[in-house]
Amino acid sequence: MIGPVRGYRVRNLVRAVSGLASVMVLVEVGGPTRLGAQEIPGNGAAAETVQVKAEPGSELEEAALDALAAEVGAELRCPVCRNQSVIESSAELSREMQATIRAKLAAGESPAEVKAYFVSRYGEWILLKPTARGVNMAVYALPALVLLLGGVFLVARIRGWARTGPAEAAPPLEGVSDEDQRWLEDAIRKS
Amino acid sequence: MRGMKSWLLPLAAIPFLALLAYGLTRDTFVLPSPLEGRPAPEFRLATMSGDSLSLEDLRGRVVVLNFWASWCVPCRVEHPALLQAHNTYDPAEALVVGVVYQDSRRNAQRFLDRFGGGWASVLDPGTRVAIDFGVYGVPETFFIGRDGSIARKHIGPVNWELVRTTVDSLLALPEPAESASDTTTAADVGESPHQATAEGAD
Repeated sequence: MIGPVRGYRVRNLVRAVSGLASVMVLVEVGGPTRLGAQEIPGNGAAAETVQVKAEPGSELEEAALDALAAEVGAELRCPVCRNQSVIESSAELSREMQATIRAKLAAGESPAEVKAYFVSRYGEWILLKPTARGVNMAVYALPALVLLLGGVFLVARIRGWARTGPAEAAPPLEGVSDEDQRWLEDAIRKS
Repeated sequence: MRGMKSWLLPLAAIPFLALLAYGLTRDTFVLPSPLEGRPAPEFRLATMSGDSLSLEDLRGRVVVLNFWASWCVPCRVEHPALLQAHNTYDPAEALVVGVVYQDSRRNAQRFLDRFGGGWASVLDPGTRVAIDFGVYGVPETFFIGRDGSIARKHIGPVNWELVRTTVDSLLALPEPAESASDTTTAADVGESPHQATAEGAD
């Protein structure tokens, strides 16, 4: 389908498509984290105040803990509603889970430790964003792969069309006068 | 070339269709518990009658740990099976323990007065123990072996056949060595046991 003369141009196109695909993969992988952070107002600022180490028990630290707990809660699945995060859900179990998250953070556990606790109790299912490991890699790799293959397919197809030119006119119908044939073609053109 | 392409696309669709078909055969509400085969999370909670109950005290016995609530309709469906288990087994061998899930002590007591049940039910204020067990909702039942590890988790109402076969198979297992159960209590569980008073649940 692809002639040797056009080979290099096709290769360039493939390179361009794969480059685009990898950019989209990067956007996709980086996307949820950044979106997740934007969902909660004042999130980024709060995370910084944690590093500042506000005085224990102060209002500032309470607010920072709330924000950090909200950040963790946004990454965990509500076991009742299933398609909402713990922080978004108003289910009682989610509210209790959010309280548990906050209590664990207040006790000095890191967000990663808190998430690991929930994974150990509910399984990896509890994470809204699957970890990019093992079979889960398919979730991240497949869209890119499909995009890439689709791009290659499209490029090959379009080049094929460009080479063969427009489809040949249909042969005149049998038993139809020239005048009728012209009228028919005219009607088809206008339609 | 054209002939090959005509079957190439349908062929490529087969893996996707197979994946989707496989997805349809799975019940999304039945999720495997990572706790199966691991030591049951420790807890010490107040029972409805005001006593203190801890899983550690029950080491050496098979425990049917049933999370339930008075507002839960499937819990009424499974209640006769638990009642039968309670009446069948010697509590020194195997026993039912209820954990009241997001319910008031008053309503839970009304449920037991109406449907019967002489086994202990603990109150779980703050749903901490339910979260520790990875409970999604009620009813959920954990079958805990004599060594204190979770042998099986069942989501949804249990029936007598399931309770009987599971408990019998756990009773048939050799008893764990005495010394082993002493050394693996606090260290294996890791988490500090949740402590709470009965008042907190209301």
